[in-house]
Amino acid sequence: MPDNLIEWRDEFRIGLSEVDHEHRMLIEAINRVHRDLASGAAVPRVTAALGDIHAAIASHFALEEKEMAALRYDGLQVHKAEHERLLDSILDMLDDVHAAGGYEPDVLGPQLSAWFVEHFRTLDAQLHRWLARHPGAAGQLLS
Amino acid sequence: MNVRGLLRAPFAWLDLLCMRAFPEEWNPMAQLGAIGWFMFWIVAVSGVYLYIFFDTGVSGTWQSVEAITHDQWWAGGVMRSLHRYASDALVVMALLHLAREWAMDRMRGNHWFAWATGLPLLLFVYVCGITGYWLVWDTRAQYVAVGTTAFFDMLPIFGEPIGRNFVDQASVSDRFFTLMAFIHIAAPLLMLLFMWIHIARHARARIQPARGLGLLMLVVLLVLSLAWPALSEPPADLDRIPPAVALDWFYLPGYPLMDRWGGVVAWGVVLGLLLLLALMPWLPPRRTPPAARVDLANCNGCARCFADCPFGAITMAPRSDGRAFAQEAIVDPDLCMACGLCVGACPTATPMRSAADFVAGIEMPERSLSALREEVRRSASALQGDARVVVIDCGHGAAVGSTAEHGVATIRLPCVAMLPPPFIDYIVSRQLADGVLIAGCAPGDCHHRLGDRWTEERIAGMRDPWLRERVPRERVAVSWVARADGRQRSSDIALFRARLRELPPIARGVRREREPATRGSRRTWPKPLQWSAWAGLFGMLAFGTGAFSSWPVWQVVGPEQAVISLSLRHAAKTKIECVPLTPEEMMELKPNMRRKVGCDRERWPVHVELLRDGQLLYRREHAPAGLWNDGPSTVLERIVVPTGPQALTVRLRDTGRAEGFDYEDDIRVDLAPGQNFVIQFQADQGFRHH
Repeated sequence: MPDNLIEWRDEFRIGLSEVDHEHRMLIEAINRVHRDLASGAAVPRVTAALGDIHAAIASHFALEEKEMAALRYDGLQVHKAEHERLLDSILDMLDDVHAAGGYEPDVLGPQLSAWFVEHFRTLDAQLHRWLARHPGAAGQLLS
Repeated sequence: MNVRGLLRAPFAWLDLLCMRAFPEEWNPMAQLGAIGWFMFWIVAVSGVYLYIFFDTGVSGTWQSVEAITHDQWWAGGVMRSLHRYASDALVVMALLHLAREWAMDRMRGNHWFAWATGLPLLLFVYVCGITGYWLVWDTRAQYVAVGTTAFFDMLPIFGEPIGRNFVDQASVSDRFFTLMAFIHIAAPLLMLLFMWIHIARHARARIQPARGLGLLMLVVLLVLSLAWPALSEPPADLDRIPPAVALDWFYLPGYPLMDRWGGVVAWGVVLGLLLLLALMPWLPPRRTPPAARVDLANCNGCARCFADCPFGAITMAPRSDGRAFAQEAIVDPDLCMACGLCVGACPTATPMRSAADFVAGIEMPERSLSALREEVRRSASALQGDARVVVIDCGHGAAVGSTAEHGVATIRLPCVAMLPPPFIDYIVSRQLADGVLIAGCAPGDCHHRLGDRWTEERIAGMRDPWLRERVPRERVAVSWVARADGRQRSSDIALFRARLRELPPIARGVRREREPATRGSRRTWPKPLQWSAWAGLFGMLAFGTGAFSSWPVWQVVGPEQAVISLSLRHAAKTKIECVPLTPEEMMELKPNMRRKVGCDRERWPVHVELLRDGQLLYRREHAPAGLWNDGPSTVLERIVVPTGPQALTVRLRDTGRAEGFDYEDDIRVDLAPGQNFVIQFQADQGFRHH
């Protein structure tokens, strides 16, 4: 099993410095959980770590939504609905571990990775493309 | 029970009555200030209309108001009545608003600002009202003019008593009406400025009542105006004292008080009341809970706390800690009311986080979220029986009054909206309890202004942070209940528990469309009783404003009484007679000040006495005006005497003589009831009277 579940890639960059910064932090957090899973950490430690990811991602989405609203990004509603769905699903993962009293590292790890990367591939990439088409928008936001 | 407790009880019952009688958004007790604003606008609009036809001047004023009232009763008359009755309703709303805020203890700590800026508003309301009555120039205006000038003449700030402008019919000038009209228009403009300042620290301040309620109040005032038009008293005649005046007791109760107990008492009451009200926010028991605190390690500047603060206490500022975020939240401790609504809005406030570093981006120092999570766990674990419920209670609404043995654990927060939605998720998904009930204040009447609204919107997925869709809404209930309505609260809890018993176990992974929380059925009266309550309340408002704006009539002087007004302005002799200066004395003076005679500027006081049938009625020494005591002395005294034939002696001393008088006059007069007998004086003509 590799050390890191997800490696930061340039294609993850969407062009909003705050958002990109948090994406890097989230990847680090997910990789930490991944290492915990690999080393067979106790259930409370894994659920707490997933809880921390939930809080971090909730706050990240809040910031991203604020910026999308400020940019008048037309995909905001769809993007937000996806955020809410992702927040639900990480809590479901957490509850599954909590309820089962255990976890399968080989299942939970990829689940977590897919959960995160899928969002990048779809909606964050759309935002990235939109920002590329509206080059002045991000600059306005920062000013 | 303290005074506030005594006042709180009737308000609690009035709140309950309004909750039962009105649709939720109409509850007038929850929008007294907004109704006040609405009354202000009615007064302003009707005032503009009246001003078009109003004629300022001693001779034209009364007639122009009569013409407005009668010649165009269908427009001007209605506008005049609306102007008066809405002004009366404004006083009622302002005083009720003040009393209620006091009763609910919403003037302490950082609430002081709205309280302190409300007091000048009250003063402006009275300035507007009093000058408005003055402008009509009827006998009521005359009474108000004489009373107001006497009130201000108590202050040693005027060169001569301003009341001398109203001593007889000949002394009133047109100019004065221009001044009154100016004040009557300038005061409401200043008032509007203060109204704006008054609400400056409230985000989303409510300045309009519910549309239906406002419309209904306007209709009530219109009906009142048509059925019971506001009328003038007879035209003012300063040569006569109006025996009785129909007073507006909302605006003019101070005048009879002054008649009865004198100006000193009136000043004492006014200043005492103002001082007491002004000091109220700082009187004991005084306690200001510490303000919310931002934890930068957990704040990425998402601005949700900024969006939800009802008091504008949070601003978003450039990042100060070097992290790669643009902004951070800053709390102004001078504005923060410690309600905790910001904590409920923070996306990091989730109890699923690890115990080690569970600190949200913004927290209340006295109510940390990690301690709250422990309290939730502990309280929930003590729950017994089925249908276990965790109640989140703000303590400002009706009491919850249940215990863990009865399956209900109560957790008290400053406001229910301090509870971050993930806590509800946590309680339900971990099955710490079978349901969560949010027990807050009456709907639309949150102690911290927006708590009920934010809570409902967060649960319904209309406001961030959403309660997760996976939380079954039938396991989340809201109970918005007025303080005195313990029965509604108990029934809400009982009903919720009964529903919980019938629910299937929670199925994980099931999501529904965004739904609101479960609401208990609101106890309202049957329609006929509701309508009777409306009729009663609006009838009271209409009848109260209609009646007390001109009744009871105040007896100014008795039927067998007249008034002697002593009004004079006279410069007494100088203390030292002018003497020719010797050439040596002249040379000692500066060249530009040399003169042939030397005069000391200081004058003797003027000593005045009035005797009636040999009995002393008045005796007083009046000091000369001016810093150097070189000005004239002025006298203004109104003395109530019985009617009939009188032998009056008036005498005056304006020199340093120890005994005797320099001027003296015997007057024989037969005083008619209500007559204003004026005695004046001029040095070259002696005493004059009419």
